[in-house]
Formats: sequence, C-alpha cells, structure tokens
Amino acid sequence: MSKILESLPLTIVAGVVLTVIMAFLTDSMTSSSGLSGAMKDAQGQISDMTK
Amino acid sequence: MSDQFLLFLVRYLHVISGVMWIGLLWYFNFVQIPNMGKIPDEQKPAISKVIAPEALFWFRWGAAFTVLFGLILAWMNGYLVDALLLKVPEIGFGMWLGLIMAFNVWFVIWPKQQIALGIKEADADAKPKAARTAMLFSRTNTMLSIPMLFSMVSMQNNFY
Repeated sequence: MSKILESLPLTIVAGVVLTVIMAFLTDSMTSSSGLSGAMKDAQGQISDMTK
Repeated sequence: MSDQFLLFLVRYLHVISGVMWIGLLWYFNFVQIPNMGKIPDEQKPAISKVIAPEALFWFRWGAAFTVLFGLILAWMNGYLVDALLLKVPEIGFGMWLGLIMAFNVWFVIWPKQQIALGIKEADADAKPKAARTAMLFSRTNTMLSIPMLFSMVSMQNNFY
C-alpha cells in the first residue's frame, strides 16, 4: 500500500478505482433500498415543484 | 431568515470550508511535496518555517469546519443518522470518507507535522519518520478525496 501512496499518479489511479467500486456499491444498495427510493421520489417531487 | 436560506447558508459554508481544506490538501500533494527535493537546502526553511505552518493552520481548521457544517447540513436535511448508517449510501459513503479524512488531519497529519517541522520538540531521528508518516496519511487523504467528492457531488445532482 505504501508503494502506491509514494507515487502520486498511482494514488490518483487508486482513488479512481475506489470511486468506481463505491459507485457500483451505492447503485446496488439504492436499487434495493426502500428508504433511498423514497428519498429519490421526494427529490423528484421537489424538482417538479421548482420547474 | 427563512429555513431555505439557512439551509443554503450552511451548505455554502460547508462548500467554502471544503474548498479551503481539499484545495490545501491538493496543494501539499500536487505542488509542495513533489517539489521539495528541487529546492536548494538554504531556501528550504522558507517552506518548512513559513509556508507549511501557515498552510497547515488553514488546512486543519478548514477540515474541522467542513465536518461541522456538513453534519449540521445533514441534520437539517433530516438524513444525518440514516446516512451514517449507510441507509442513504449516496451521501453516507462520502460522509464516512470525509470523517476518516478529518480524523487523519487532526490526529495523525498535524501531530506528525509538528514534529517534522520542529514546532514540537523531538529527537532528530524522529523528524524524518514523522515526515514520512504525515506524507503517507496526506496521500491517503488525497486518494480518499476522489471518491468523497464523487459522493458529495452525485448526491447534490441526483446522480443515482
């Protein structure tokens, strides 16, 4: 791990890899979560109201 | 003052503190650390005695206020506990990454930098060791800042 952190380009690559993992994980969690679904609905309603 | 304006004001203060924090984190990692070796030894005190201590002041307080206003913002939006329990993972992951990063700033990077910069008394042997630990944790925060910012921006823009 310290080998990666000693190199700035490898640190950035590691950050991007973590971002992709987090995005897929979040997507899978939100598609199976009623709470997040409800939150998305509420955000959609607020967005419609402001149009 | 309306609730909506107050919410906007807290978000603005969260963002402005975050720019101070992450801006200085990236300054350290993209500019200062990679170029220290190119600076002649007699000019190095300009960085270690003047620039770095001042930058570290704004860096650590930027981190503290980013977390403070972020937690207030999450509480005002009503998702503070659910986000921390990852029931709202869109922002929950970002909040946890931010909290880990702020912990690193206050409890690892700043204490180690005090030794490395000679602000706190320590053995001569301890200085390079402290500087390396501070650098590695600063790099860890740079790595974590990439998904943290993705989470923050995706939540704000209804990405998921």
